[in-house]
Amino acid sequence: MCASVKYNIRGPALIPRMKSKHRIYYITLFSIVLLGLIATGMFQFWPHSIESSSDWSVEKRSVRDVPVVRLPADSPIPERGDLSCRMHTCFDVYRCGFNPKNKIKVYIYSLKKYVDDFGVPVSNTISREYNELLTAISDSDYYTDDISRACLFVPSIDVLNQNTLRIKETAQALAQLSRWDRGTNHLLFNMLPGGPPDYNTALDVPRDRALLAGGGFSTWTYRQGYDVSIPVYSPLSAEVELPEKGPGPRRYFLLSSQPAVHPEYREDLEALQARHGEAVLVLDKCTNLSEGVLSVRRRCHKHQVFDYPQVLQEATFCVVLRGARLGQAVLSDVLRAGCVPVVIADSYVLPFSEVLDWKRASVVVPEEKMSEAYSILQSIPQRQIEEMQRQARWFWEAYFQSIKAIALATLQIINDRIYPYAALSYEEWNDPPTVKRGSVSNPLFLPLIPPQSQGFTAIVLTYDRVESLFRVITEVSKVPSLSKLLVVWNNQNKNPPEDSLWPKIRVPLKVVRTAENKLSNRFFPYDEIETEAVLAIDDDIIMLTSDELQFGYEVWREFPDRLVGYPGRLHLWDHEMNKWKYESEWTNEVSMVLTGAAFYHKYFNYLYTYKMPGDIKNWVDAHMNCEDIAMNFLVANVTGKAVIKVTPRKKFKCPECTAIDGLSLDQTHMVERSECINKFASVFGTMPLKVVEHRADPVLYKDDFPEKLKSFPNIGSL
Amino acid sequence: MQSWRGKSLWLALSASWLLVLLRVFPLLRLAVPARPWASAPQGWPRWLDTELLPSFSQPGELPEDAPQPPQAPRGGGCDWGACFDASKCRTGGLKVFVHPVAGPISASHRKILASIESSRYHTASPEEACLLLFLSLEVPAGECSPVPQQWNGGRNHLVLDLHPAPCPQTFQLERAMVAKASPTVDTFRPGFDVALPLLPEAHPLRGGAPGQLRQHSPHPGVPLLALAEERGGWRTAGTDPSTCPWDGRCEQDRGPEQTHPGGTLPNATFCLIPGHRPDALHFLQALQAGCIPVLLSPRWELPFSEVIDWTKAAIVADERLPFQVLAALQEMPLTRVLALRQQTQFLWDAYFSSVEKVMHTTLEIIQDRIFGASAHASLLWNSPPGALLALPTFSTSPSDFPFYHLQRGSRPVGRFSALIWVGAPGQPPLKLIQAVAGSQNCAQILVLWSSEKPPPSRWPETAVPLTVMDGQRKVSDRFFPHRAISTDAILSLDAHSSVTTSEVDFAFLVWQSFPERMVGFLTWNHFWDEAQGGWGYTAERANEFSMVLTSAAFYHRYYHTLFTHSLPKALRTLADETPTCVDILMNFLVAAVTKLPPIKVPYGKQHFEATPPLVPGGPEPQPTARDCINQMAAGFGYMPLVSSRLRLDPVLFKDPVSVLRKKYRSLEKP
Repeated sequence: MCASVKYNIRGPALIPRMKSKHRIYYITLFSIVLLGLIATGMFQFWPHSIESSSDWSVEKRSVRDVPVVRLPADSPIPERGDLSCRMHTCFDVYRCGFNPKNKIKVYIYSLKKYVDDFGVPVSNTISREYNELLTAISDSDYYTDDISRACLFVPSIDVLNQNTLRIKETAQALAQLSRWDRGTNHLLFNMLPGGPPDYNTALDVPRDRALLAGGGFSTWTYRQGYDVSIPVYSPLSAEVELPEKGPGPRRYFLLSSQPAVHPEYREDLEALQARHGEAVLVLDKCTNLSEGVLSVRRRCHKHQVFDYPQVLQEATFCVVLRGARLGQAVLSDVLRAGCVPVVIADSYVLPFSEVLDWKRASVVVPEEKMSEAYSILQSIPQRQIEEMQRQARWFWEAYFQSIKAIALATLQIINDRIYPYAALSYEEWNDPPTVKRGSVSNPLFLPLIPPQSQGFTAIVLTYDRVESLFRVITEVSKVPSLSKLLVVWNNQNKNPPEDSLWPKIRVPLKVVRTAENKLSNRFFPYDEIETEAVLAIDDDIIMLTSDELQFGYEVWREFPDRLVGYPGRLHLWDHEMNKWKYESEWTNEVSMVLTGAAFYHKYFNYLYTYKMPGDIKNWVDAHMNCEDIAMNFLVANVTGKAVIKVTPRKKFKCPECTAIDGLSLDQTHMVERSECINKFASVFGTMPLKVVEHRADPVLYKDDFPEKLKSFPNIGSL
Repeated sequence: MQSWRGKSLWLALSASWLLVLLRVFPLLRLAVPARPWASAPQGWPRWLDTELLPSFSQPGELPEDAPQPPQAPRGGGCDWGACFDASKCRTGGLKVFVHPVAGPISASHRKILASIESSRYHTASPEEACLLLFLSLEVPAGECSPVPQQWNGGRNHLVLDLHPAPCPQTFQLERAMVAKASPTVDTFRPGFDVALPLLPEAHPLRGGAPGQLRQHSPHPGVPLLALAEERGGWRTAGTDPSTCPWDGRCEQDRGPEQTHPGGTLPNATFCLIPGHRPDALHFLQALQAGCIPVLLSPRWELPFSEVIDWTKAAIVADERLPFQVLAALQEMPLTRVLALRQQTQFLWDAYFSSVEKVMHTTLEIIQDRIFGASAHASLLWNSPPGALLALPTFSTSPSDFPFYHLQRGSRPVGRFSALIWVGAPGQPPLKLIQAVAGSQNCAQILVLWSSEKPPPSRWPETAVPLTVMDGQRKVSDRFFPHRAISTDAILSLDAHSSVTTSEVDFAFLVWQSFPERMVGFLTWNHFWDEAQGGWGYTAERANEFSMVLTSAAFYHRYYHTLFTHSLPKALRTLADETPTCVDILMNFLVAAVTKLPPIKVPYGKQHFEATPPLVPGGPEPQPTARDCINQMAAGFGYMPLVSSRLRLDPVLFKDPVSVLRKKYRSLEKP
């Protein structure tokens, strides 16, 4: 064997010197090895789909080589579209089954070339855009290659442009698709519907129940909630570089850039120009251009030549006028230029109008009112115009700029209909990213004052200071609105005192034992909390009077979406160190309250436990500190509101230095707290805390008024 | 020969190795399908000739498609652009004329008429009107209401059809819009018809019952589901995941359930409402109860769907997927449940709780169509306080209103304008002007001279611009949206008010945190007077308050617009006749909008004596003033005032620390 290995290595060099008898063997051997190597190599590059013979077609990687399907002249034709179709009548939702991800599954039929009995093709096999569209779907999360699990079927028959296809034969081709079933759950994409002379506003190909994503629907052909209105893609989107131009006043107030406008409309537009002079510019196609210049990219006014679409960036408003078709590709160019489209096309269903709020990005003028367009536009305040310009650009970026964007928005709309409980919200569809980042949607936005009768649940976090704990329990139990007391026993090594030893109080008292000594246990949404209001209180806060606690609860009722607490703290920007600093001195401002004694809504427990951003929760548990700062950050971030500090400053028994004594330790404590603020601010990506200079006192606090007539006389007394 | 044998052995080995490679390996790969190669590109192929594919439209084809006269295809229907002539509305705004109704009318129709007549859009002359309203009456079966005069082919007509009429099509509608309760999806023309809620007979004209939601989060232990019963009423079902209450197929194990009789409201987190039209009545009940409506394939258009984003308050689900829907409801994140619940309440209170609100919303929708670009933004319709209280005539930018700063990430702009109203005595309030002008936050001082005496020609030199405006001799003129007011914040003052600079500074600071509320110094409180059987109020100092006096208060300038343009004229006239009423009216208005109490800030003690008696005749208000609060409550249809028990003080207010530490130390002077 050793020898043969050697031969194998040195084989070719040895061959000429071998005996001819042996040489034959070696040559055979060598060729066999070579063959083997080639065979292995072929395996390496063999596509995976080798198993099923039907998919061999995928192998052929040119569009010209796709299988040909002959359509007999008498093959069935689907019925015309049913105008009364709705999702709950024509769509088979069972095919979408239950999907934990709430995402529909889309199948794409493989590409075929359809010919009639005479071998004449039914249409162009596939256009560049439709290929792009199918690629986008195929690359998305929606795609499945398993036809039996699909909820939506997309034929590969390209019907984007009705002019390029033979209507009857295309319909026959659709009807013979393997899962056609009257077009149920089939989605067709069409951007240029209708043809001369009457230009229907929806695809003329009979399609039975199939959904139509069409560009150019009118309200008469659009099946609300079933079809999807899509934009007419502008090829210029990909061909031309057009840097973004910010909103603001521009050279022309109103611009019409469409070259082929019906003479009647052109008259109207020119009348506008005559009346308003320089502010209005009406462009036409160029007639005197030398050969070879792309006429698509030029527009002319008299003898002046303008570059298109760049000229759109010079105008505040741009006319988008209907042609024979309602949907116009110019809409896409206009939006991209940040020009506010003035849509003059009666009954046109604007793209994605099911989810997009076009009022924010466009002005619709009835065809009859075209002559008034200028005055209508002039009544719009400048600030609103700028808002619309920004919105227009955002719509283009999100939903118009590529075939992929159009395809995915269409699928998202259908997905939203099938899984409405997981649908995107109005804001998610419409708000530009800058607005999304700046806005806060308070989870407790409804202005209401919860009834006093509900009361609050006090949660005392304790480790082993039983004596102090019992005093706290006794004090808190005097508060009239207390409805339950929950002791969170955070000591795993020691059992809580026996039942008989606990103070006897008038409200239910429950002890929850925890599995681990973690600070976050204080903010766990225990099932035992039945009230909305929660009072978090440390086991050493014995100095708060019953009046003060009751008043705190009353304040919480007026501000149920805020942290309402007693000792207040402040964060400051340290200019020397260039970072945040924690401040516990007597300041005129407040941005946090300590949760050693604070009222808040129990929903924030849920947020703290399950929705705390980043690793803050673990960080707090690991450092055994700053859980209160984390809570302040969380609430301020989600509500956008400041804390409310109640009642005057009291001498608290150093609530922040639980087991630490001495001044120097106090110093490290402050450093640690400052670090917490910096850490949290970086995790949140912003500083959510709000600084205020007010605190809440009872109406008659320190007023010259008989004490016994005051509701909360016992406030601030040490 | 040894080597020869060895070689042939080696040859046999390599041959068999090759055989293994060629035959067995692919078989092995077949036996383990799709695993190791699954990441390979799949699905739609990447064609080699992608670049060569033709574009779907040839350049030049798009522009050239306009060879024929532009004619909107008229599909036998109507839409807004085609069938409504808005030119008439542009000059005078939306003016509504109601065709006189012949014959006896029912109580609910009377309420509709009353609510339209009380609206600011109503006009008595059909010539002036741009919208003509026709009330479709309930007539004996088979008969149809006659076509009214001035029908004009239905142009600019709105046919109100609140209850399903026995006459299927009252008459040929032609170009008229139809406002119908729960219209079927098939006949509804979006953007032209208006979908109304199906109102119960006993729906109140004004005010209306408040929403039932008393707290933000669902009570623990409340059933997850309530199902609308066919014969009215609700049935609550247990939270057992295996139950599908509306589906006969799983009838056998429904778990614990309870049936509730007709009138009661459901007490559950979600309310399942089948999609048939009669079930639309349940929809409003669920809304009022704060029970999130889950509509199962509704065959009717949701009320006011043109403007209300129902995805924020209800769930439209497919009845064919019961288990999926149930699972989705059970797993719905708490945050979403909270948001949906609160939105039901907001919508109920804003648009549905009374006939007046429903009718005014209908007119507002039509007004918005006329306004076009300057209509209410979606945000104004879909967040508190709602579109009826956020007038687009004030501004088209939401950040200008006091309500949307959070959503927009904005802040109220600038400083404040002091608006000093000089009434009868006609003394220029020099001391007051100095005190206010001393504030660094004061942008301008406006003196509204409403005295018979002519204003003095010389005014004190101030650091800020001072403008004297000649007011009409009416108290309500104080709350007119004067053009001169250039800031969001207004400090409203009387000639005899007395405030110090630091009081003003602190109050303004507080107002910036609560721009939608009134922030004031002196307070009144309202109470229910058992003995008199009516509302009363007192100026006595108490532990509670519900009103702040506008003789010294901060508030947003938007409330001037609202006061002047949205309040019923009768109430404003009342305020003019009884000057103390104007404070009550303003407080009613702000409380009705915010549903929250005003805010009190500290006020130096000496001013109590310095201020002339606010209510002549001592602390007990005079009889006319007492009537006033009751008339206001009747005008609003309910008592909007909310009491508060707190005052906002500076953080170190009267704390035992050195005064040098305190920013607002002068507030503490005895």
